[in-house]
Amino acid sequence: MNSYNNNFKLSAIALAVLSSLMVMPALADEEEAAALKKPVSTVELGVLNVSQDSAKFGEYTGLNQSGGYAIGNVNIRGGSAYDLNAQGGTQRWSIRGTDLGLRSRSVGASLSDQGSWNLDFQYDELKHNLSDSYMTPYVGSMGGANFTLPGFGLVANTNNGMTAAQLAAFQNMDISTTRKNTALGASTVINSRLSLNFDYSHLDQTGAKLMGFGIAGVAGATGEAVSILPMPTNYKTDTYSAALNWRDGPGYASLTATSSIFTDRNASVLFQSWAGATGMQNMPTAPDNLFNQLNLTGGYKLSARTKFVGNFSYGVGSQNVPFVTTNALLLSSGTPSSLSGSVVNTHADVKLIDQTTRDLVLSGAYKLDDRDNRTSSNMYNFNAISGANTANYPNTPLSTRKALFELAADYRLKDNQHVRIALTHESIDRNCNSFASGGGTTYLTTSNCVVAKSSADNKLDATYRLKTSEDTTLRVGYAFSDRQATVDPYALAAFISKNGAIPGPVPAVNPTPAGQNAGDYFGFYPFFSASRLEQALKASVNWQVTEQTDLGLSARYTGDRYPDSTYGVQNGKTWSLSADATYNYQENGALNSYVTQQYRQRDMTNLQRYTVTASAASATAIGIPATASWTNNLIDQDITMGLGVKHGGLLAGKLQLAADLSYSLGNAAYNTMLNYNGATTGGLTCSNATLLSCGQLPDIRTLITRLKLTGIYQVDKSSTVALNYLRQRMDSNDYYYNGYQAGYVPSTLLATNQTTGSYSVQVISASFIHNF
Amino acid sequence: MKILKIIYLVFFLYLICFETSSSYAQNLTLPNLGETPSRAATAKEALRKDAVCTGCHDESESAPILSIYQTKHGVRGDSRTPTCQSCHGESEKHVKGVAGSGGRTAPDVVFKKGVYAQSGDKERSSQCLTCHSGSKRSNWDGAAHQNNGVACNSCHQVHRPSDKVLNKVTQTEVCFTCHKDQRADTKKISHHPIQEGKVTCADCHNPHGSTGPKLLKKNTVTETCYQCHAEKRGPLLFEHQPVTDDCTNCHTPHGSNITPLLKSRPPFLCQECHDGTHASGTPVGPNATGYQGGLAKTNPSGAALFPSKNIVGRACMNCHSQVHGSNSPAGGYLQR
Repeated sequence: MNSYNNNFKLSAIALAVLSSLMVMPALADEEEAAALKKPVSTVELGVLNVSQDSAKFGEYTGLNQSGGYAIGNVNIRGGSAYDLNAQGGTQRWSIRGTDLGLRSRSVGASLSDQGSWNLDFQYDELKHNLSDSYMTPYVGSMGGANFTLPGFGLVANTNNGMTAAQLAAFQNMDISTTRKNTALGASTVINSRLSLNFDYSHLDQTGAKLMGFGIAGVAGATGEAVSILPMPTNYKTDTYSAALNWRDGPGYASLTATSSIFTDRNASVLFQSWAGATGMQNMPTAPDNLFNQLNLTGGYKLSARTKFVGNFSYGVGSQNVPFVTTNALLLSSGTPSSLSGSVVNTHADVKLIDQTTRDLVLSGAYKLDDRDNRTSSNMYNFNAISGANTANYPNTPLSTRKALFELAADYRLKDNQHVRIALTHESIDRNCNSFASGGGTTYLTTSNCVVAKSSADNKLDATYRLKTSEDTTLRVGYAFSDRQATVDPYALAAFISKNGAIPGPVPAVNPTPAGQNAGDYFGFYPFFSASRLEQALKASVNWQVTEQTDLGLSARYTGDRYPDSTYGVQNGKTWSLSADATYNYQENGALNSYVTQQYRQRDMTNLQRYTVTASAASATAIGIPATASWTNNLIDQDITMGLGVKHGGLLAGKLQLAADLSYSLGNAAYNTMLNYNGATTGGLTCSNATLLSCGQLPDIRTLITRLKLTGIYQVDKSSTVALNYLRQRMDSNDYYYNGYQAGYVPSTLLATNQTTGSYSVQVISASFIHNF
Repeated sequence: MKILKIIYLVFFLYLICFETSSSYAQNLTLPNLGETPSRAATAKEALRKDAVCTGCHDESESAPILSIYQTKHGVRGDSRTPTCQSCHGESEKHVKGVAGSGGRTAPDVVFKKGVYAQSGDKERSSQCLTCHSGSKRSNWDGAAHQNNGVACNSCHQVHRPSDKVLNKVTQTEVCFTCHKDQRADTKKISHHPIQEGKVTCADCHNPHGSTGPKLLKKNTVTETCYQCHAEKRGPLLFEHQPVTDDCTNCHTPHGSNITPLLKSRPPFLCQECHDGTHASGTPVGPNATGYQGGLAKTNPSGAALFPSKNIVGRACMNCHSQVHGSNSPAGGYLQR
C-alpha cells in the first residue's frame, strides 16, 4: 500500500510537472498568437544634428540649417476591433505623427467603426527651400508684395555701372514656399448598397518663388530691364468633395461633386524701377479661380463574360478677378475690367470588355475630353517692357476636343503566354471661339489661333508576356504611332507680326501676317502638336535564380521623328537600361543593388532671324545673317546606382545594421551648329569669342552621392535605440547661375548672386523608440 | 462660392450627425436589427470559419498570417470582411487531404509562391475584385497593370499589419520594383518630394486604372497637376497653348537635371516652339554661359560687350515671366 501510495504520489508530481511543461509552450504560443493579432504602438523621441546650412540639402526635409533638431514620431493605435475582435468589436482609432520636430511634419488621427463610419484628420506641412544664396538690393520681405529701392537711384548699366553704395545695398534673402495642408474626411455606410464620402482639404501656402520682373520702358528707360524678385505664393486652396456610392449585384456607380476654390491673397506685387525712373510698377499675381465638377462613374456586369464601364464628368472653371490696370505697360484700359472667364471641361468614356472565349478577351473603348473655352475675346492695347512693340491684340480663348477609340485583344497562347494587341485612334481639334478685332487692326476671319488646328494619331501597341517557369517572367512590348497634323500657316498666335515687322522671308501668299505662331518661319512647327512618327520598344526579365537570389533586367527605347517639320524639332530618342539584384544571404540578412542608365537626345533645326552687326553691345546673335540655318542638339545622360545591405540577428538577435549607398550622375549637354558664309560677317566665325553663338556648351552636370548607416538595438521587448548617420553630397556646375553674378550680368539685369547650392552635409541622429 | 461652402458644410455636418447617431445606433440597437446577426455572432461565425485554416496556419508560420487580424480584413464583427476561405477558396482537398496523394494538395487560390505554384494573376485579382470592384477600380480591366500580368497582391501585402503600398513613406519602394526610370528620376537635382515621402505615386496616379493618360487620377494631365498647382488653373486672359494642352510639354514630373523639372533649358526649350520675332530664332551657343564661358568683354570695335539676358539664366523667361499665362490686359507678351 505504502509503495503504491508512494508511487501514486510520485506519479501525481510527475503528472503535475508534465502537465505544466505541456501548458507552458501552449501559453507561449497563445501569447505569440495574441501578439500577432494586436497592433504595436510606437513613440520615437530623439535628436539629430545637421553639419551645414544648405537650402538644397534641406529642400524638402526641413533640415536646411545646421544645428540640432528634435526627432518625434508617433503611431498609436487602439480600439475594440483589436481588443474585442472575437466579441465583434469594430471600432478603431489611431494617432499618427511624423517628423514632428521638422518643417516637414505631419499629424493625423482617425476614428472608425468599420462597416459603419469613418472619420479622418490629416495635417501636413512642407517647406520648400528654394534658395539661400539669393541677394537683392530691394527692401521688402520674402512673401511680401511691396519691394522698394529707397535711395538706390537709377542704374544705367547693371554690369559695370553700379555705384559702391548700390552694390553695398545687396543683401541676402532666403527664398522658400511653405505648404500647410489640412484635410478632413468622413464616410458612412448607409446600407449594404449605399455609402457616402466627404472630403475637405485646405491648402495654405505662404512664401515666394523667384521670378523675372521686367521693368516697363517708361520715363526715359529704353530696352528691357529686369529684376529677379520673389513672387509671393500667398495662396489658399479649399477643396470639397462629396460622393455617393452605390453597389448592387452586377452594377455599381459613384456620383461625386467636387469644388475647388483657389484664392490668392495678393492681387499684384508693387516693385520699384531702377531704369528710366524710380517709380513703382505693378506685376499681377495669379488670379482667384473656382472649379466645380460633377463625376459619374459606373459599371455593370452584363453577363458572366461581358462587362461595361463608363465615366462622365462635367466641370466648369471660372475666373473673374478685376484686372490690374495700374500697369505701366497698359496703353488703354477701355476694355472689360475683368475676364469673366469660363471653361467647360467635359469628359466621357465607355468601355466594353468581353471574355469571348476562355483564351480571348476583347475590349472596345471610346473616350472624349472636351475643353470648351467660353471666354469672350476683346482687343487689348499694350507695350512690351522695352517700351516698343506696341500691340493691339486680342486674347485667343482656346478650345480643344480630343476623342480616342481603342480596340484591344488579349489572347492567351498557352497557360504561360499572353499576347495583347491594341489599336487606337486619337483625334484632336483645336479652335478659338471668337476673335475680337478693332483698334485699326484687321485679322483674317478664317485664321486659327493655333498652328495645328487638328491632328489624327493612329497607334499600334503590342505586348507579349511569357512565364517560362515559376521563377522567370519575360515581357516584350512594341508600339508605333503616326500623328498627322493639319496645320494653318496663317494662324494668329501670340506675338504675331501685326504687332511689329518681322525681318526675313515672308510667305508669297498673303504676306500679312508674316509667319505663324509668333511669326515663325513656314515649315516650323511646335513639336508637341506637329506631325510625328514614334516607335517604342520595351523589354524586361525577372528571374528568381535561387530561393535567395532575384535578378531583374529591363530596357526601354523610344524614337520620335517629325517628318513635316522643315524647321523645329526634327527627332528625338530616349533609351534606358536597368539591372537589379537582391541576395538574401540569410534569414535576416540581405544585399540589394541596382543600376539605371538613361539617355535622351533631341535634335532641332531653326533659322536665324536677324542680321545683326558684330558691333552690337549684346552677344545675342551678332554677326549672323538672316536665313542662316542652325541646329541644336541636346544629349542628356544619367546614371543612377544603389547598393544596400541589411544585417540583423547580431548580439543575440538584438542588433540590426543597415547601410545604403546611392550615386546619381546627371549630365545635360547642348551643342549648336551654325551654317552661314563667314564672308558676310567680315570673316568672323560663330565661335569667335565676341559671338560664341555656336559650339558646345559646358555640361550641366550634377553628382549626388548619399550614404546612410543605421543601427537599431533592441534594449528590451518594448524599447529600441536607433542611431543613424547620413552623409550626402551634391556637386553641380550648372552654368545657369553665371549670368546672375555681380559683374557678369547682362547690362540691364540686376544680379542675384545665386549659386548652384552644392553641398556636403552630414547628419547624425539618435532616438529612443518605445513600443507598447 | 459662399453658397457652395454652406452646402458642403451642411453636408459635412449631416455626415457627422448621421455618423454620431449611427454610432449610437450601433451601440444601442444595431446588435440585432431584424434578420441581421449581431456583431458578436458575426465575429464568432467568422472566427469559426477561420479556425479551419488557423488550426494549422498559426503563429508558427514564417509568414505572419495571423497579423491579418490587425488589418481591416481581420475585423470579424464587420460582416463584409472575408474569412480565409473567402479569398483562398474553400480548398476542400487541401483542408481534408487526399488519401495517397503524398501530402496536401494546393489551396484553390495560391497568392504567394512557396510550397505550391502561384495561381494566375487574373485568378488572384478576381478574388479581391469580388468585393473591391467599386469606382476607384472601375477601370482595372484593360489598364496597364492588368495587361502586364500584375495582380493585386503583386503590390499589396494583405496579411501585414502595415501594407507598404498604402504607407506614404514606403509606397515608392513598391512602385519602383518595376518603374526603374522613375526611381532614377526622383534622385535627380530637380524632383517632386517623392523620395522625401511627401508626395507619393498615388497622389497623381491611380494604379488600378483610370480615365486619364498614364493611369493619372484625373481625366487629363493638367487637371491632375492643378490639384496642387491651382494657381495655374485659370482660365486666364492670355493663355499659353502648351500649358493649357499638357504640362508635360515642358515639364518632366518625376525628376530632371534642369530645374524646375524642365525637359530642356531655356532658351532651347522655348525654341522648340518659337522661331519668330525677337530673339526666339537666334542661335545660342556658349554665349549662354556668359563671360565665364569665354565670351569677350569687348566687341571688335572695342566697345563693351555684355551677355544677353535673352539667353543667360532664365533666358526668355527673364522678361516673359508669366509663361503659364497672364491675366493682365497688358500681358499679351506674357511679361505681366
